[in-house]
Amino acid sequence: MEKTKQWGWSPQWRKCCRGRKRKNTLHPHKERQHLPVAAEQNRQRWLFAVYKPPGVAWNRVRDAVETRLLRELNAAPAWPPRSRIRFLPAASAGPPGLVAVRVPVLAEHRLVRGPRFTQLKIGAGHRLDVKASGVFVLGVGHGNKILSHLYNCHLSKVYTVRGQFGKATKDFSDTGKLIEKTTFDHITREKLERILAVIQGTNHKALLMHSNIDMKTQEAYELAVKGLIRPMGKSPPIITAIRCLQFALPEFQLEIHCLHETQQYLRKIVHEIGLELKSSAVCTQVRRTRDGVFTLDDALLRTQWNLQSIQNAILNCQLRVKTEIEKTMSHWDGTCAPGGTSTSPLG
Amino acid sequence: MAAVAVRRALRAARLPPVPRRGLAKPAGPPSARQLREADEAAPIFQYVGKAAKRKDRVFVWGFSYSGALGVPSFVKPDAGWKKPRRIQATPYRLETEEKITSAACGYGFTLLSSDTTDITKVWGTGLNKDSQLGFQRSIRDRTKGYEYVLEPSPIPLPLEEPQKTRVLQVSCGRAHSLILTDSEGVFTMGNNSYGQCGRKVVEDEVYSESHLIHQLNDFDSRVVQVRGSSESKSEDGLKTGLGHYNITSVPTKLGGDIAGVNIIQVSSYGDCCLAVSDEGDLFGWGNSEYLQLASVTETTQVNVPRHLPFKIGKIKEAACGGTGNIVLTEEGSVFVWGYGILGKGPNLTETAVPEMIPPSLFGWSDFSPDVRVARVRCGLSHFAALTNRGELFVWGKNLRGCLGIGRMEDQYFPWRVTIPGEVVDVACGVDHMVSMVKSFM
Repeated sequence: MEKTKQWGWSPQWRKCCRGRKRKNTLHPHKERQHLPVAAEQNRQRWLFAVYKPPGVAWNRVRDAVETRLLRELNAAPAWPPRSRIRFLPAASAGPPGLVAVRVPVLAEHRLVRGPRFTQLKIGAGHRLDVKASGVFVLGVGHGNKILSHLYNCHLSKVYTVRGQFGKATKDFSDTGKLIEKTTFDHITREKLERILAVIQGTNHKALLMHSNIDMKTQEAYELAVKGLIRPMGKSPPIITAIRCLQFALPEFQLEIHCLHETQQYLRKIVHEIGLELKSSAVCTQVRRTRDGVFTLDDALLRTQWNLQSIQNAILNCQLRVKTEIEKTMSHWDGTCAPGGTSTSPLG
Repeated sequence: MAAVAVRRALRAARLPPVPRRGLAKPAGPPSARQLREADEAAPIFQYVGKAAKRKDRVFVWGFSYSGALGVPSFVKPDAGWKKPRRIQATPYRLETEEKITSAACGYGFTLLSSDTTDITKVWGTGLNKDSQLGFQRSIRDRTKGYEYVLEPSPIPLPLEEPQKTRVLQVSCGRAHSLILTDSEGVFTMGNNSYGQCGRKVVEDEVYSESHLIHQLNDFDSRVVQVRGSSESKSEDGLKTGLGHYNITSVPTKLGGDIAGVNIIQVSSYGDCCLAVSDEGDLFGWGNSEYLQLASVTETTQVNVPRHLPFKIGKIKEAACGGTGNIVLTEEGSVFVWGYGILGKGPNLTETAVPEMIPPSLFGWSDFSPDVRVARVRCGLSHFAALTNRGELFVWGKNLRGCLGIGRMEDQYFPWRVTIPGEVVDVACGVDHMVSMVKSFM
């Protein structure tokens, strides 16, 4: 009798399970769900960026990408069905006895087992809130581990923020409850740039203070000259650079490079700029144009959320992600360890 | 029939239709139309008009027990919850009656002046043991004067035309003050034990509670700048650059390499002096113990002005500190030399040749490439630099909180001071600083 696989709570199943839960590995009898990529590429950095539209929560975007990928993977042609020899009773007309017949194994048929892929591990990088839009980094499979290494690199992100003078609302955006309306005809581009210079200056000071380096060392001086001082742990939101791209009263557009920020913090900055200019301002648009090494050109639009485009995007970004992580890790290895990593990301 | 119809029609025409109150509807989120109407009905506030001017403010920080900061509640608290504040570590706003155009810090005292045509033009605060702030009559005893002045108090000047003359500049030394006016020369007061007030030295003169304000009026040409400095502790007396080491109590023209050269700026502190000519050349004389003039001489004292042949470009401004010097070139680069915390990290403690401080420490980057240093100032052992964006950078020894960075530790490279305004000018003293600031709007 051939060996059959045991399922359920039989002693053979439980013997296999012993120790598995602690190791968190898959059951030896279950099929490991691999994406159809060649074996030597399995340990690469599977990260890609999508463009999150405004008005949609980030987890919905992640779910939509996962659903589309699953649909395409399950629609791919399956392995040809296995067949086995069965000894079936002979046909009624003919000598009695068993006849060897080759029949397909129905237990492995797609309609019996269900779709081959039911779930894909897609992780999200730095999140975007509902009203914001822009570059949103996702990781597939092994890329999820790389996401945490990218987070520990503490790279800055670039946003374009649009604001409008004249109104102040409760949640600092133009759809919130109106608090106050003010005049704004006294505002000029020069005054706005003066305020932006001050914001940049105080944030530069915060950058140096939160980077946990002793200011009395020669090394701190060298890093400050090169501009390489950066907080490598938790810190409050810091703006590394800010400038005005467009200015047409009452609207204006700013480009902000920041670290450890939230989009609501950027809206609050727009509100505070309005207060400093003795007027008020609301934020009409927050759009992330760059997240670490991923720019707007790498972000996939909704029409491109399919397997082929995602694979191309992953291949395009792999080298950049690898060099960026290597650069940051090698630079900070000797001086101070970044928060939380003990294993090498390049293994 | 027709009459009844006519009467009904008339009644309807006379009385307007009565508004009937229907059943109350539940409140829901405001519709788009309600939001728009609320938006349009909201009143518009005006905080500032188109022609609003920027306000001028004065910020002070440093050691406050001498009264030099001009805030009496730091020394003598006037409310129960206030505690005496020995050191003000971050910039503190000083309320002044007039717009202050010039300020100077001495050792424990401050002078503020305004170019108004009012009677009161100069205010002084701080130490007054040598009458460096003039005679401040005490309220309790009308014959005596105050030794410490805790608030900016007016200094009465013996002007011929008090309502026409304007005060251009004030300057302070260790224990004496100089006030430059536009038409009545220079007024000096304070300690004169080495002739630094420009009058003859009187033996055993008592300087405290003195009413004497000396006026220097006999110069060949117009005086454009005054500079007082701390006197040296050696026995040679004040370094005058006149070719001898005796005390001079009468202003005398300088010789040496400087003869015949148009000088646009002079700076001195401690025992060393620097002068900048209109062609961008630098001249120095005085003490050279700390390698300030080591590029031209091996001796430690130079009594004749010598040209300092540094190949760093045309020099716009120079400032002397107690042990280090700083210059600013036309392109906006900052060079330091001398001894002490020079601003290039803890490893560079002394150099005879000027070293440039990288502009990236002053806020220059690819994002903002037009940031340039506009002014440099020097205190006894610290430096200050002002950029064209109105930011103030300080570095050096943090004596009793004089840097204003909120910490008491020394700062080895330029560090931004957070001031709510655009800094126009700054005056550095030994342990305190005063800055003149324009508000943002």
